[in-house]
Amino acid sequence: MLPTGCSRRLVAELQNALDSCAERQRQLERSLRVARRLLQAWEPKETPAPEPTPRPETNEEDQFSACTPSPQDLQELELLTQALEKAARVRKGISKAGGDKAPSLKSASIAASPPSRISAPAQASRRAGSHASQTKPPKGIRQTRVPAKNLPEQRLLSVADATYKRRGAQAVKPEPGLRDQQMVPSAAAQAPEAFMLKDKGVLLQLPVAFRKAASQNSRLWAQLSSAQTSDSADAAATAKAQFLQKMQTASGWPSAAEVGRLQKACSLLRLRMEEELMADPEDWAQEHRCLLTLQGLQAMVGQCLHRLRELHPAAGEQLLRPWPEGRLPRASSPCGGGADPVWSPQLLLYSSPQELQTLAALRLRVAMLDQQIHLEKVLLAELLPAVSKPEVLGPRWPALCRAVHSLLCEGGKHFLTILREDAPAD
Amino acid sequence: MGRRRRCRVGPDDATRALPEAIAALSRTLPAGPSPETFRRAKFDSPEAAPALWRLLFRVLSPGPPDGASASLSLEAQARSVKSALRSQGYPSQALAQLPDNGSQGSRQLLLALAWLLARGPLLEQLLAQSRVRLGDEMPVCECEALASPGPPAPGMGEAGHVDIRHLQWLMGKLRFRWRNLMASQQEQCALLGQIHLYTRGCHSDRSLGHLSVTETELLRDPEGGRQLLRRLESENARLEAALEWRRREQDTVLGASQPTFLPRSPEPGARELEPVARELQALWEQLQEAVEARRAAWEARHPQLQVGDRGPAWSAARRALDEVVGRDLAALQRAWEPGGGLTQPHGPRRLVRTEARAPGGPGLRASEVIEALRTQEAHLEVVLRQLQGHCRQELARLARALPGLIWIPPPGR
Repeated sequence: MLPTGCSRRLVAELQNALDSCAERQRQLERSLRVARRLLQAWEPKETPAPEPTPRPETNEEDQFSACTPSPQDLQELELLTQALEKAARVRKGISKAGGDKAPSLKSASIAASPPSRISAPAQASRRAGSHASQTKPPKGIRQTRVPAKNLPEQRLLSVADATYKRRGAQAVKPEPGLRDQQMVPSAAAQAPEAFMLKDKGVLLQLPVAFRKAASQNSRLWAQLSSAQTSDSADAAATAKAQFLQKMQTASGWPSAAEVGRLQKACSLLRLRMEEELMADPEDWAQEHRCLLTLQGLQAMVGQCLHRLRELHPAAGEQLLRPWPEGRLPRASSPCGGGADPVWSPQLLLYSSPQELQTLAALRLRVAMLDQQIHLEKVLLAELLPAVSKPEVLGPRWPALCRAVHSLLCEGGKHFLTILREDAPAD
Repeated sequence: MGRRRRCRVGPDDATRALPEAIAALSRTLPAGPSPETFRRAKFDSPEAAPALWRLLFRVLSPGPPDGASASLSLEAQARSVKSALRSQGYPSQALAQLPDNGSQGSRQLLLALAWLLARGPLLEQLLAQSRVRLGDEMPVCECEALASPGPPAPGMGEAGHVDIRHLQWLMGKLRFRWRNLMASQQEQCALLGQIHLYTRGCHSDRSLGHLSVTETELLRDPEGGRQLLRRLESENARLEAALEWRRREQDTVLGASQPTFLPRSPEPGARELEPVARELQALWEQLQEAVEARRAAWEARHPQLQVGDRGPAWSAARRALDEVVGRDLAALQRAWEPGGGLTQPHGPRRLVRTEARAPGGPGLRASEVIEALRTQEAHLEVVLRQLQGHCRQELARLARALPGLIWIPPPGR
């Protein structure tokens, strides 16, 4: 058993570590849920409406809300369906010797949900092709490519509809609108007409209102960044500096910037010291260099302390107080505060999922190591004293020592063995 | 379009511009008080005080506002504001002396706000904190995770002693959680890669190329899309207000209010310097120890090469070493002196999947970040091993003191 204070502190530290891990996991789970849902089939009634070319009279709400199809649309759909059925018949007629299949196909297709049963791409691709010629080349290529593939049956009408929505509305219908998005569910209500990102993701398009807002957003952020960085030449900056100066001299305390610099200096110096201490010099030159570096570091620390005492003459007295109970500061991160932060997000380019996975794994590994180092320092501060008095613990000491050794030296993963050397029986 | 108006400062200009500037400030601050509140605060009206306490609380508390912090009483918020200002080095003692019930001191609060605004890009920081994130972001450094270590967990149910086996169990649980985390992270990356691949070419912004999860989600879920759009638009409004404030800064209260002469008091500043002072002192002592040890070792190993020797070959080599070390340390010093750049990439970045190999294009490449992370990983591993080795030595020393026990290290050591 460990002493009370020690127990409390250690349990608190470990619990803290567990909590921060759990928090990361929660955040990851949230985004995983969203991503998984996106890669599954989307609900049919939420089929995305790739916005046809700008329609100024359509107000924002219409972009997202459902509309009921007009009789005209149903008629057009019926025409399309018949055309597809005919194509199916033709193909079936060619592929199967028996012609009696065709009539059954036809009747079946009209009776049940027709669109999902049809598979012949020929007519659809012709139609798509004619529409495609009106599209911008990249989208057009994609669209003709899609019907050319050997599509499974239920995908076909979705594709045709997507094409139709994109261009057909313009060419064929006098009245623009978004009722297109309802054509699929209303005509094929029972059809498992699902949108799969994998197959048709490339057809997606962001709504106009959103695009406008997003580009305005990035423009404003860019303006704000540049407005800030060009401040230095301005009257505003001098006014600010004067104001701060007035407040500062009124109280006589060091500015936060100065303290921040000292903190950064401290952590960088510590890092460097640790590097030097770990280095294993191979020859006298390296050894000497190490010594010189350490001396230099000590001198720099001395300078910092000197500057500190200048700022706060009373600081010297407080330095004699022992380290208070509480968290050890983490000095291992070299990230300083923003030197010149850019406010709008910059890009991180990756070329393959494997690369991204490597990056993410490394990031987590660094975070984990950092946490482990912190825990190690805390554990060693508490546990080493706890085992340093074997006489107090008596017979329980070896077991405790073994456990402490495992925690401190092996990360809790491996254990050593302790054998008691008995006096030989005579 | 001229971003800055050259303000010919006439009294008419000033009186007209000031309310507009205040209005802009009010529009851009989160939960901003009305311009009327600001005006009242200038006259130290007590009615304006609660709103300003709440504003400062919102501004100074780290992270986005959650239910817990919003429901704090005015008193608790006021106390939190005072402590936050103290830790940021706010020089005025007068504010700390205001009553906690939040009923007074609107003029002092206004002064504090002006101080915060003058010190740094406060508005930009606030806006960035609550920014609508449209892309899939990944931080490239661990700053944010480390910055908020969180308070130590409150006292656990068990009173007093804890068996060491409980600690072992907690450690094992921690290891398991990390493993889970890594696995989930790998899955997320794979899914992101897929989504980016499937939506290639869909983004109106060619430099991005594909959609992000947020953008794809808004297409899948129109209701969510509407909400996102609303948030985006309100952020745009705040951004415009912030830009307007920047344009009019010189017209504002900064020049107008004169900070009254404040009495000196050792408490506030000392608190801030304490931890740094302690750390520096500890560092100095460690270095002292290390230098002495190394010097002693040197003198024992190379008795003929005194550190201050003057032999010709020795001094040439020594001068060279001096120079190298000097340059090294100077470079180190530059890292924290003003103007020192960050050596590592920083902050969250939007992920973009691209085949392009164009160097010098915008954005950071994953391969570079991987390099930097590998270096960091190697360094941290060394530090950890060193700590573990230190423990091993200590325990071995203890073991040697007790005869009659044989210590068999675990396999592989």
